[in-house]
Amino acid sequence: MARAPIGLKIRNRRKEIGLTQANLANRLGISASYLNLIEHDKRAISGRLLKQVSEELDIDMGNLDGAAERRLILDLHELAADGLFSNFNLTQAAASFLVGQHTDWARALVMLYRTYLDQEQTITALSDRLTHDPFLGEAILKVLTNVAAIRSTAEILDSIDDLSEDELGRFHGNLVSESRKLSEVVGSLSTFFDKANAKTRSLTPAEEVDDFIMEKGGYFPRLEDAASSLRRDVQGKGVFSESALVDYLARRHGVTVRLGEGGLRGAGISHNQCVFDPDTRTLEVPAFASATTRMYEMTWLLAELTLAPAIDEEIREADHLSSDPAHHRAARDLMDYLVNSLLLPYDRFLEDALEARYDIDLLVRKYMVGFESVSHRLVTLRKPDSEGIPFALLQINPAGYVIKRFNLPHLPIPRYGSACPLWSIYTCFQTPSQIVRQLAAFPNGDRFLFFARADAREQSKYSQTRVMRSIMLACNALHADKTVYADGLDFSSEALAEPVGLSCRLCSREDCIHREEDAIMGEEHQPLRRV
Amino acid sequence: MSHSVLIAEDEKNILEALSFILSREGYVVASALDGNTAIEHIRGNQTDLLILDVMLPYKNGFEVLKTVKTDPDLSKVPVIMLTAKGQSQDRKTAEDMGVDAFVTKPFSNKEIIETVKRLLSSKPA
Repeated sequence: MARAPIGLKIRNRRKEIGLTQANLANRLGISASYLNLIEHDKRAISGRLLKQVSEELDIDMGNLDGAAERRLILDLHELAADGLFSNFNLTQAAASFLVGQHTDWARALVMLYRTYLDQEQTITALSDRLTHDPFLGEAILKVLTNVAAIRSTAEILDSIDDLSEDELGRFHGNLVSESRKLSEVVGSLSTFFDKANAKTRSLTPAEEVDDFIMEKGGYFPRLEDAASSLRRDVQGKGVFSESALVDYLARRHGVTVRLGEGGLRGAGISHNQCVFDPDTRTLEVPAFASATTRMYEMTWLLAELTLAPAIDEEIREADHLSSDPAHHRAARDLMDYLVNSLLLPYDRFLEDALEARYDIDLLVRKYMVGFESVSHRLVTLRKPDSEGIPFALLQINPAGYVIKRFNLPHLPIPRYGSACPLWSIYTCFQTPSQIVRQLAAFPNGDRFLFFARADAREQSKYSQTRVMRSIMLACNALHADKTVYADGLDFSSEALAEPVGLSCRLCSREDCIHREEDAIMGEEHQPLRRV
Repeated sequence: MSHSVLIAEDEKNILEALSFILSREGYVVASALDGNTAIEHIRGNQTDLLILDVMLPYKNGFEVLKTVKTDPDLSKVPVIMLTAKGQSQDRKTAEDMGVDAFVTKPFSNKEIIETVKRLLSSKPA
């Protein structure tokens, strides 16, 4: 993966505050020519020097870590991998240069591509609808039948002179009734097309929310503080338990929790087995709900009633969220974040995670929450000076649809289409409920530890379709030995590492038997030959 | 003696128009509003040609076509299928079953009459 092109950012800021290259270089204790190389992304910068630059130029370190630039480069790589551009010589080096030197042009390109994809999907969906919609099919048949009757009858009236009065009357009557029927069908068609509004967006809400969360590094300090304060309020001198929640909901929000009553049998897809009636201020917690579900859903209600303004504030300040669906999705994701913060308080959870060496099953049992909650929480352990291992996260359904993704700077998770089929996120569906671990080696030499598990959501009855999802965490191999998932693996052995790619189109492994698509992007300066 | 034609069509106004024009051409016309009635009639009555719509209640046009073309006593009865434009899969299915001609809706009366005459030209009444 190329170095993060932050040179332009440094140069622009330097000029903004009126410093010459020589001035800044002098302050940093480096030569002006070296600074010039940095500003043109010919040299990487990190560690103490990066910190100095951020101090001298008064730029937040978070803006200089290159994460945003790397994401933009990856987006350009995915764009270049589209068959539409197969005749273009699009190289990785050129993508990095474009981002480094012409960031806004790079962003505009990516935005245009997303708009194109969005509209292409809309056209495909509409085309499918026209071809397969049962209402349309039937309506068209009716129109043709009505018109056939009208035509045949009209020809009779037109071509036959010796029709009796009775025959004339009958055929005229038939014309009228067929015309009426035709009008009704055409009216229905018109209504159908009026309702079939195809809304297009340049970014899907999911993509906007992804960008929003990744910009924040997956960590929301204000929400953490709010959750911490609320948790202390709830538990008082005791513990954060079901009974403490019931008591707090009654005292502070006038909510009566009815345990063992009602609830939505068959629900479980979006955590709503408990049912809250805002008019009667009653929460039904059914007897069939597990302890984990009860705790999660009561905490969710607590967070909704108490901390919704904190979420609203985060969303108001977000640059990426341009539509109502994006706002709603972000609000839901942030609510999930808050609930996890309440159930898995940051400092204690980090301590336990370190002690447990990130054993998710152990943490699940300790905190009595779900596998998904612990996985999501591990990714958010990004508080400065109190961080856990940096994890990437990918959550999908069996169709490969990406439900949630969180990148690492050097582990890009494809935004469009599926990733390499060898990733354990896919193979773990073959062995549900078992963690599948994998030492993944990428063509550029980067290695990551992947561990993934597929599970079915809680099923309330036999006839309910099982909802399967898989979730994968990934960390750089350098951190792997801090986790239980590396136990027994010899990281020094090259044979152990499984050669994988990002996706077929972006992978340079020509000899991979799992390849399903021609590769487009190749090494630093060369696009691959098309197979 | 005239040829007898059975029209299987559930749309009454089309049925009336077709019956009228074919009667004027000298054919003895019978009608059926659904697939079961069509099969009953063709089994119990002399039928020289069948005009068959695809969409029929109870048994659809394909089921009636299959019954006619697989019955040794009925398989020689020419069948004209009435289809909607663009239903290429219908045409392929009907051809595989041995249909003798297609007329697509909306059709002209002249087209129906010419097709009927063509199919009955070699058949004695």
